[in-house]
Amino acid sequence: MRLKVCGMKYQDNIEQVAALQPDYLGFIFYEKSARNFDTESIPELPKSIKKTGVFVDADIDIVIKLVNKHNLQAVQLHGKESPEYCDDLKNRHAELVSASHNLEIIKVFSIKDEFDFSILKPYENTCNYFLFDTKGKHPGGNGYTFNWNVLNNYPSTKPFFLSGGLGLNEVEKINQFVNSKASKYCYALDVNSKFEIEPGLKDIEDLKTFKKNLSSILDNNKEIVMNYNVDEKGYYGEFGGAFIPEMLYPNVEELRQNYLKVMAEPEFKKEFDQLLKDYVGRPSPLYFAKRLSEKYNTKIYLKREDLNHTGAHKINNTIGQILMAKRLGKTRIIAETGAGQHGVATATVCALMGLECIVYMGEIDIARQAPNVARMKMLGATVVPALSGSRTLKDATNEAIRDWINNPVNTHYIIGSAIGPHPYPDMVTRFQAVISEEIKWQLKEQEGRKNPDYVVACIGGGSNAAGTYYHYLHEPDVGIIAVEAAGLGIDSGESAATSVLGKEGIIHGCKTLLMQTKDGQITEPYSISAGLDYPGVGPMHAHLSKTGRAEFMSITDSDAMEAGLELSKLEGIIPAIETSHALAIFGQREFKEDDVVVVSLSGRGDKDLENYIDYFKI
Amino acid sequence: MNRINQKLQENKKLLSIYFTAGYPNINDTVSIIQNLEKNGVDMIEIGLPFSDPLADGPTIQDSSTKALKNGMTTEVLFDQLKDIRKTVNIPLIIMGYFNPMFQYGVEAFCKKCQELGIDGLIIPDLPVDVYHQEYQAIFEKYGLINVFLITPQTSDERIRYIDSISNGFIYMVSSASTTGAQSGFGEEQTAYFERIAKMNLKNQQIIGFGISNNETFTQATQYAKGAIIGSAFVKHMTKHGADGTGTFVKTIQN
Ligand SMILES: Cc1ncc(COP(=O)(O)O)c(C=O)c1O
Repeated sequence: MRLKVCGMKYQDNIEQVAALQPDYLGFIFYEKSARNFDTESIPELPKSIKKTGVFVDADIDIVIKLVNKHNLQAVQLHGKESPEYCDDLKNRHAELVSASHNLEIIKVFSIKDEFDFSILKPYENTCNYFLFDTKGKHPGGNGYTFNWNVLNNYPSTKPFFLSGGLGLNEVEKINQFVNSKASKYCYALDVNSKFEIEPGLKDIEDLKTFKKNLSSILDNNKEIVMNYNVDEKGYYGEFGGAFIPEMLYPNVEELRQNYLKVMAEPEFKKEFDQLLKDYVGRPSPLYFAKRLSEKYNTKIYLKREDLNHTGAHKINNTIGQILMAKRLGKTRIIAETGAGQHGVATATVCALMGLECIVYMGEIDIARQAPNVARMKMLGATVVPALSGSRTLKDATNEAIRDWINNPVNTHYIIGSAIGPHPYPDMVTRFQAVISEEIKWQLKEQEGRKNPDYVVACIGGGSNAAGTYYHYLHEPDVGIIAVEAAGLGIDSGESAATSVLGKEGIIHGCKTLLMQTKDGQITEPYSISAGLDYPGVGPMHAHLSKTGRAEFMSITDSDAMEAGLELSKLEGIIPAIETSHALAIFGQREFKEDDVVVVSLSGRGDKDLENYIDYFKI
Repeated sequence: MNRINQKLQENKKLLSIYFTAGYPNINDTVSIIQNLEKNGVDMIEIGLPFSDPLADGPTIQDSSTKALKNGMTTEVLFDQLKDIRKTVNIPLIIMGYFNPMFQYGVEAFCKKCQELGIDGLIIPDLPVDVYHQEYQAIFEKYGLINVFLITPQTSDERIRYIDSISNGFIYMVSSASTTGAQSGFGEEQTAYFERIAKMNLKNQQIIGFGISNNETFTQATQYAKGAIIGSAFVKHMTKHGADGTGTFVKTIQN
């Protein structure tokens, strides 16, 4: 854990404290503080120490001036600074000629006995750290600790500084804290007034003792790097896992033990790549949409998954999984489908490989997606109506899972999105990751840079989105935008915007955000698009939402339909209605003129013609 | 001692019955439980209905859907059970999927169970390792026995692990299936029953799934401490209502 010593004031004292090699030294630039740093310069410090300026609602110009003047590496914001303020500050700093490094932004929040953690969310994207301090009379430096148990409910994975009243008497308490769950994302300890002879003058001996007594903790600089991928236990942050009945354990465990090994085999890779190239038609083009870009005054690229064989991204996953099933010696394939896109993609690869194929589809969906039902039948699949519950996608998934329970040995279940028990979300994501892998080199060719400013995708369960984001998850300069279906509107009762309406829970074997009653009964979502009509999101997306890494937007039926029509007229591309949701964000959100925005054009609109015809009375 | 453990010490084969709370009618819960005890049933699993019962076949799916339509909720069930220990002495287990318990709050749920005199829980989609790491301490604090499933596909090593975490009985799923599937046990099942019987597990086993009549009950209890009947009883309820309990139990015991 790191150590920050705050409230430095006097030249000699600064040098003495620096000799103890803390990780951060804090200088308060706030006139009302007894520790206000009003000296002309900070003495030369070892490079390992980050000079941190502490501000309270200061004018951004002044902050920038002082950052520049003292070459500060971090700023700590102690007032009511808004997320926009933090954004602005970061951008202004990045524009500085002298900015050779990123400015770390530490946003302070004060806690007493309770805290509404939801206010952190808008800060997740712009701040590097949070700092939790005791709520009291002054903005910081109140000299007593807050109730650290509050941090048991810390919902974020952003590393934080623990502050407020830390002194020699708290050593035991700190030790206990570090061994508790509440400290999981604690990155640093921040000390100040408890080590002072007078305000701004630190007691070197006390600091030495503190460092010595906590040496086992302070020397252990565990790296808290944000991870948006699945961890070794099958979780994305707190989401994911495998909540399955014991009957499914052997199947899922077999897959878990083998999927990474199999995917790493050169032979497997070769066969996968070959089929993607010769059968699916990859790489799919990255197309600069000139007229759309002109209309919205930004640079829009479309990743053309609609040009894949069978008309959507779904086939990337089914090709991967059918090869996996063959490696595992399976002879019978089952799948669920909503609109029929995944069912068709599964029936296609089963025909290709000569394997038996059974597709579960809600009775209601069978009636409204007749052309896709016919396609599956032509491809040799058996389509079984799901008659239970609400007779749509959710129930088709239940039926597929029940089939698997009844056929545990010879059957592989090809799940159609980045959902289900671990390892499915990760496996599906990896098969779809070809989307962002291609975007990287395609964008480099066209724009001279691999990273766009934004990647955008619609989310049903989240497979095209996961593939579009995958290689950008850990590139902080790439913004991630996730688009959900608002249906008739978020508050209409007819919606599928899970990140807004959902709560943490368990659906189809994984812990994620899902729409449910307060009793935990899973509810029926609604969207005009059958592919977005799912009551949950994949666990990766639940994590991206909770950590604030992705910006979630929701788009109504009518805005999506208009965006679909607009793309048809402006670019000569008729998109799937799912995809139209992603396109509709340009009418809702501003982008800068030179922003490069890549949208996953997940599927073509052929399957939706009847819907478009009905809607626009064409 | 927990009522389940007491019951397991009795020198007899145990008959355990599952029913879906709130079915056929919302207020049948207490009378079904009382009738079952009166007719000599040894243990009862009260099904807390769920919208998406993954491990269940059509019969229990249907009864769950109807129970929810009838207005069954966790709160309603708890309210119905508030005086149950004034009249009923046999072990009572709540069987349900994890999400409704998770939303109620696992600790609050367990605490409530203890207050009502519930002895154990069966939660098919709460995996044993998650239970072990996150919830075991809570269950034990409230004196609840958590019952785990094993199937013909469960490896010996995993069965030993499950045995080590269990402190009541092990729920042996008779075959690879959802509930209510088959009629009669073949060679495959008896081989599996024998294999498990020979493992000398610390916990006794009770067999469930596919037990529907006197014949299958007798077959199963040749190898195990008892057997659980679910779908067949639910079907009987559909036809005969809560008052039909006695006739059903008699067909099993004769
Ligand atoms: C064209 C298209 N886009 C998107 C989706 C949504 O699925 P996912 O979120 O898994 O990409 C579907 C699902 O059927 C689809 O057909």
